[in-house]
Amino acid sequence: MTELVLAHLYPAEMNIYGDTGNVIVLRKRAEWRGIGMRIDPVGVGDTYDFTSADIVFSGGGQDRSQEDVADDLQRRSDDIHAAVADGTVFLTVCGTYQLFGRRFVTHDHTEMPGIGVFAAETVAGDVRMIGNIVVESEWGRLVGFENHSGRTFLDEGQQHLGSVVKGYGNNERREGEGAVTANAFGTYLHGSLLPKNPALADEMLGRALARRGLDARLESLDDSSEQRAAAAAADRP
Amino acid sequence: MFRLLFAMFLGRSAGRLSRLFGRGGSAIPGLIAEKIDPRVIEKLASTIGQGVVVVTGTNGKTTTTKMLVRVLESAGHSVVTNPTGSNLARGVATTLMETASWRGRVVADLAVFEIDEAAVRKVGPRLSPRLLVVTNLARDQLDRFGELATTAGHIRVAVEVSETVVLNADDPMVTALGDGRDPGSVRLFAAVGEIRAGMPSDSNLYADGRGRVDSPAADVLLERVVSTGDGQEITLRLPAGERLDVTLQVPGAYNGYNAAAAALAALILDVEPGAIPAALESMPPAFGRGQVVEFSGKRVKILLVKNPAGFNQVIRLLAGADPGPVLVAINDLDADGRDVSWLWDARVEDLDQSGHAFGTSGIRAADMALRLKYAGIDSWSDTDLKAALDRAVAAAGPGATVHIVPTYTAMMRLLEILNPGRSAREVWT
Ligand SMILES: [Zn+2]
Repeated sequence: MTELVLAHLYPAEMNIYGDTGNVIVLRKRAEWRGIGMRIDPVGVGDTYDFTSADIVFSGGGQDRSQEDVADDLQRRSDDIHAAVADGTVFLTVCGTYQLFGRRFVTHDHTEMPGIGVFAAETVAGDVRMIGNIVVESEWGRLVGFENHSGRTFLDEGQQHLGSVVKGYGNNERREGEGAVTANAFGTYLHGSLLPKNPALADEMLGRALARRGLDARLESLDDSSEQRAAAAAADRP
Repeated sequence: MFRLLFAMFLGRSAGRLSRLFGRGGSAIPGLIAEKIDPRVIEKLASTIGQGVVVVTGTNGKTTTTKMLVRVLESAGHSVVTNPTGSNLARGVATTLMETASWRGRVVADLAVFEIDEAAVRKVGPRLSPRLLVVTNLARDQLDRFGELATTAGHIRVAVEVSETVVLNADDPMVTALGDGRDPGSVRLFAAVGEIRAGMPSDSNLYADGRGRVDSPAADVLLERVVSTGDGQEITLRLPAGERLDVTLQVPGAYNGYNAAAAALAALILDVEPGAIPAALESMPPAFGRGQVVEFSGKRVKILLVKNPAGFNQVIRLLAGADPGPVLVAINDLDADGRDVSWLWDARVEDLDQSGHAFGTSGIRAADMALRLKYAGIDSWSDTDLKAALDRAVAAAGPGATVHIVPTYTAMMRLLEILNPGRSAREVWT
């Protein structure tokens, strides 16, 4: 049986807002196609070779956790860049997404360095951007819940994940949501993201399989429950 | 003195007027009185001869408060306590005023106040607690508190002004509140490893046991929990090594923790150990906390959920219950928390062998159905709560219990539908 490897980066530190649901969904949707998935938890200070992972996931966290993670991430910067160049699939949400940009400038103007996978910068803001969000993307309509005060600005030429239909996205100017570089995705969407957006989950699985030279066509599933949940969320404030 | 009496007079009059116009509003007298005399809480609290106990934390503070009050009353104390839900400054002020004589003295020898964990920073110092009890710290409705560390900081302010603190030794963030204090003023309750393993604190909710530390030696240890249908039998080991066997009417190992906290607080307040079991046993479950309500000839039990830690407690209880219909009703109004992401943080997978028949309801019924699907569990859905309740109840065999797991506003709606009668109408938040 084919087995994919998912590295869950910082499961203890970056774990609020249900982001773990993304891991549950990737594993289940692989299993339903007869593909196994091994989950490797990678914590602060652990050694890990990212080239052994097909998918790397990391979620949002509390501010204090984000500081611990920022230091650890610096040590892994070269490894992660190499994995991105090699086509490894990354999904980073909220706090980790911010640190995958070049830097995060906090309220007191101190700078938390990021690793620059995305050509983007995040600046602390006073507006809490919170609520259900709807995004139009290459992979269809995406629905989630955002909750952040950091405002992320992408450089000219950095690809967005999609455009904002409802909610804020990267910043209060509604200049788009998330970022995509090669197979690395960054987003503010909690909710969790993938349960209500199965097309994006399958896109990630397909890219992971293709990178291994395997057949990336996935047999289609009955996603009516996923569609109902997405529709219910899209209507809520 | 005159200012206090005048504040009390106006506050009480406003309270009577508000009741006259049909607005319950237990906050109004306190709100008015505090405008006239901002020190109304300090002044009245200082007249309580044997001091004030404050109970705070995310989950279990209401139950712990009720348990402690029962134990203290059974030991002959006259106790003043705030009604469920009135756990902010104005609720405390109202309670103190309503129990004060016209000469401005509270007619009770002890007070036990449940205080909201965000309000305790301000209210705690005004009460100069003799004892502060912290049950646990968990992420509550995700859009209500940004940071758990911030909440711990709020509680720390109250810790610093309290003579003695009673802390949950199995919750690392709560235990840390005792750091730097004179060890004699920090007393701990905990459970044995076997019970603790099924009760993840928020700090290790997702870490799969990584980073779990052994609890420090506890003064009161929850040694045994055996479910008995609607309630449970527990054993508490006391500081002297003595053991108390208690039969609780309230279900769930988490209520064993609450009983341990209440027992430890009572011992510190010089209650004889022998008086504790009977008092704890006398406490009935409230609506939303395991009380059984009769509906269409069936037994219906309601278990409120507010956050992933609380949901995990209910999941553990359901996993051990006899198979029957379970209805999970998730709303996303302000009082529930608008973000339902937390459903993915609960260990719903633990229910896949439970044999229950699941239905989902509420505004976000579809989200719950999806969570169940990815846990390998089939369910039916009906967003209309009344229709869903009827369907779940109709599916129950004779003598079976229908479990309903609602968020807060769904529970309020159930209260209307089930109409359990006045005595049960006390709603827990
Ligand atoms: Zn966020």
